[in-house]
Amino acid sequence: MGNIFSSMFDKLWGSNKELRILILGLDGAGKTTILYRLQIGEVVTTKPTIGFNVETLSYKNLKLNVWDLGGQTSIRPYWRCYYADTAAVIFVVDSTDKDRMSTASKELHLMLQEEELQDAALLVFANKQDQPGALSASEVSKELNLVELKDRSWSIVASSAIKGEGITEGLDWLIDVIKEEQL
Amino acid sequence: MPPLDKRIKKFLKDSIRIAPKISGKGELSELRTGLVSQYPQTRKDAIKKTIQQMTLGKDVSSLFPDVLKNIATIDVEQKKLVYLYVMNYAETHPELCILAVNTFITDAQDPNPLIRCMAIRTMSMIRVDKILEYIETPLRRTLHDDNAYVRKTAVICVAKLFQLNKDLCVELGVVEDLVNALDDSNPLVIANATAALIEIHNMDMDAVDLSSLIQSHVSQFLLALNECTEWARIIILGTLSEYSAKDSLEAQDIIDRVTAHLQHVNPAVVLATIKVIVRNLPQIEYSSNSLIMKRLSSAFVSLMSTPPEMQYVALKNIRIILEKYPELLTKELRIFYVKFNDPLYVKLEKIDILVRLVDPSNLKQCTLLLTELKEYAMEYEPEFVSRAIQALSQLGIKYAQESFVSKVLDILLELLERQDTIKDDCCISLCDLLRHCPGNDKMAKQVCAVFNTWSNPEVLLQSDIAKCNYVWLLGQHPNNFSDLESKINIFIENFVQEEALTQMSLLMTIVRLHATLTGSMLQSVLELATQQTHELDVRDMAMMYWRCLSMPNNESLVNDLCQNKLPMISNTLEKFSPEVLEKLLMELGTISSIYFKPDSNRRKGKKYVQNIVKGKHIEELESMAKNEISSKANDDVLLDFDERDDVTNTNAGMLNTSTTLGDLDDLFDFGPSEDATQINTNDTKAVQGLKELKLGGDSNGISSGGKNNPDVSGGNIVSQDLLDLF
Ligand SMILES: Nc1nc2c(ncn2[C@@H]2O[C@H](COP(=O)(O)OP(=O)(O)OP(=O)(O)O)[C@@H](O)[C@H]2O)c(=O)[nH]1
Ligand SMILES: [Mg+2]
Repeated sequence: MGNIFSSMFDKLWGSNKELRILILGLDGAGKTTILYRLQIGEVVTTKPTIGFNVETLSYKNLKLNVWDLGGQTSIRPYWRCYYADTAAVIFVVDSTDKDRMSTASKELHLMLQEEELQDAALLVFANKQDQPGALSASEVSKELNLVELKDRSWSIVASSAIKGEGITEGLDWLIDVIKEEQL
Repeated sequence: MPPLDKRIKKFLKDSIRIAPKISGKGELSELRTGLVSQYPQTRKDAIKKTIQQMTLGKDVSSLFPDVLKNIATIDVEQKKLVYLYVMNYAETHPELCILAVNTFITDAQDPNPLIRCMAIRTMSMIRVDKILEYIETPLRRTLHDDNAYVRKTAVICVAKLFQLNKDLCVELGVVEDLVNALDDSNPLVIANATAALIEIHNMDMDAVDLSSLIQSHVSQFLLALNECTEWARIIILGTLSEYSAKDSLEAQDIIDRVTAHLQHVNPAVVLATIKVIVRNLPQIEYSSNSLIMKRLSSAFVSLMSTPPEMQYVALKNIRIILEKYPELLTKELRIFYVKFNDPLYVKLEKIDILVRLVDPSNLKQCTLLLTELKEYAMEYEPEFVSRAIQALSQLGIKYAQESFVSKVLDILLELLERQDTIKDDCCISLCDLLRHCPGNDKMAKQVCAVFNTWSNPEVLLQSDIAKCNYVWLLGQHPNNFSDLESKINIFIENFVQEEALTQMSLLMTIVRLHATLTGSMLQSVLELATQQTHELDVRDMAMMYWRCLSMPNNESLVNDLCQNKLPMISNTLEKFSPEVLEKLLMELGTISSIYFKPDSNRRKGKKYVQNIVKGKHIEELESMAKNEISSKANDDVLLDFDERDDVTNTNAGMLNTSTTLGDLDDLFDFGPSEDATQINTNDTKAVQGLKELKLGGDSNGISSGGKNNPDVSGGNIVSQDLLDLF
């Protein structure tokens, strides 16, 4: 019943609300590349992000306010400044960077402990699948200890920002979850 | 799933499009929620309120990350506001600034040129190393931007960067880009690049070879001149005035091309143009009634209808130019007549110009000015009146003819009757006139007759110089005074209280008259002058007199001492030395032209503190201070518990002094210490005397910018007598 109601209203007025989404992950994971892949559908040349990029994009009738934060060690402490009101976190992992899987895992779990992110959905991109030697999604999932996550909608998707594979699939899942939880 | 009614409520709340309002209270929590609100209008309001609080001095720095989130927007106004905020707190939150870097870099490639400018400008203004590290890409990009407005901003940023971090600037090699910008197609870019280069040159003269750049870009400057803004014009003209033309043809060309700007409404442009012309004048052929002189003269006339502050600057500059081109404004004398509503500082300068300007071969003009000055002397402002009285004698001496001088003398004597407060000035001026006509006994009698009626000159006359002149007159015309001895005795009694000039004058007068005075007077003045005064010059002088007087067979020597005549004063208008004049002509329109002191550091490559990235210095000092205090305090704990506070206090005091000392050192680094050295090296008696005279004059408020003519007489008396001794 409720679903019918809200989707009806939704159609009448459209959703005025912007959804805040954070893209986090270690430096060089491909966050900025993914952001602009989503926004303009192209691969842009990037430089390490000192600070953040933010873009608003419309996706499936929703307004998404997507924040891509720099992943360098010196910037990570400031991620927390951006947690408030966040609907979902996209955590990007460089699947070829085996040495830093544990660091990625540590940062991920540290972040998810934050009070402000308790209701946020989590989408992990096991990125750079086009590269030889990339860990598979399930391998990355294991490295990141994702099974341990309780009380949270999460999913991991194998992706290649360069080739444009997996990105929309991941986002589709995320939007569905958000709609279900928030509306 | 929550119950339906709750969900409807939530849905309605989300659907209401009215953005929440931010109250005026400016509570941090409210602002914070506003800053991250989902409603753009609320966010913008919150930013405005935050900045409002900031300008009121409230610390809203804790909102930094939240404000910064709003930097990414297409709303230029909002962006500007956030930039403003970032600039303000960047220095106190350098670590948070890093979050803004990416936005600066992105904004520097924004399609909107205004945003590109804003980004590079803000970035180069933030005195935080972390930000500057990333400036290279945006700076380079904007330096080569398609848009001239962006380029002209970027070139200024190079100078700023140089100031903040010279090493980085050199490393990036952007100074070369500046040099290239001198060939830009846009006049504004050229002007700004020039300004930036000059600024950099002033910070470190080794960084750019400014003079050869100017040399090679004169034609660009001349071209750009007509198309740029006032500000740019001033800079370009200023630069042109540094250039010396190759030959008279080029000089004439430069003059022709800048002359039009003499009519500009902005006085700064006019002055800058005048400077260029004056610079090139010596190279071309001109006569006093040539077109260029007329144009210059009318430019000055137009400057005299600007607000008083500008007039003041103009007058100071006219004063300099007149010394080189005295004929320049002679026809315009009336322009400089004092208006009743001129501020005092303008009035004083005008009087100075009037006396300099008046043509001594033009009796009518001189007579008119005489009446005018007489009016001034009957005004009420003390400084003005005093200056007018001084000007009267200057005018008399300038015109030189005794009949005219005698007219001035009559006016002065008439003024003397009117008021007690101007006795000092009249006394000085009258004595100057007498020294101009040394042989004119009639005048001397007139003056002495008036002075003779003063029963207590030591009270009537206040200033050292005036007393000095009075006593000198006693010595020159003893027969015109009745009861001479008692008049001199008053001063002997007061000897210790008198200042150097009066003491000196008294000593000389008594020695001069010693043959006719009671013997004890000479004895007592010599004793006083050798034992009771702190003035070295007076003492030395007294010693020498004493020795001369006690030498055997000294008749002719003593005779020389007593009969010696002072040279005639033929001019009481101070002149610059030729070198100073040339330097001042080069520095027209600058602060040096106001103080008449050429900037000794100019083009000598003074170095500013190279890296003024903020925080470092103060922090260092602070930690030093803390360390010292704590170590001292600890030491003391071991010795004595009770005095701990005291000692900490004293330590703090000591630290304060050392900072003050540091400050002083800084001052000395910057300030030209030339004055001091000059006095030291020229520490001869005459100069010493002159120096004292100057001081006396200043405290009397007469010598504003000018000088007191008794300087000359006092100095002469001293040196003349000294010479006579040997
Ligand atoms: N082969 C491959 N390279 C990728 C992929 N995604 C990103 N990259 C490359 O990885 C590098 C870093 O990408 P960015 O998007 O800048 O990384 P980031 O996560 O934004 O890095 P920070 O801003 O420093 O946190 C770039 O050279 C990208 O071209 C991918 O899917 N495959
Ligand atoms: Mg990035």
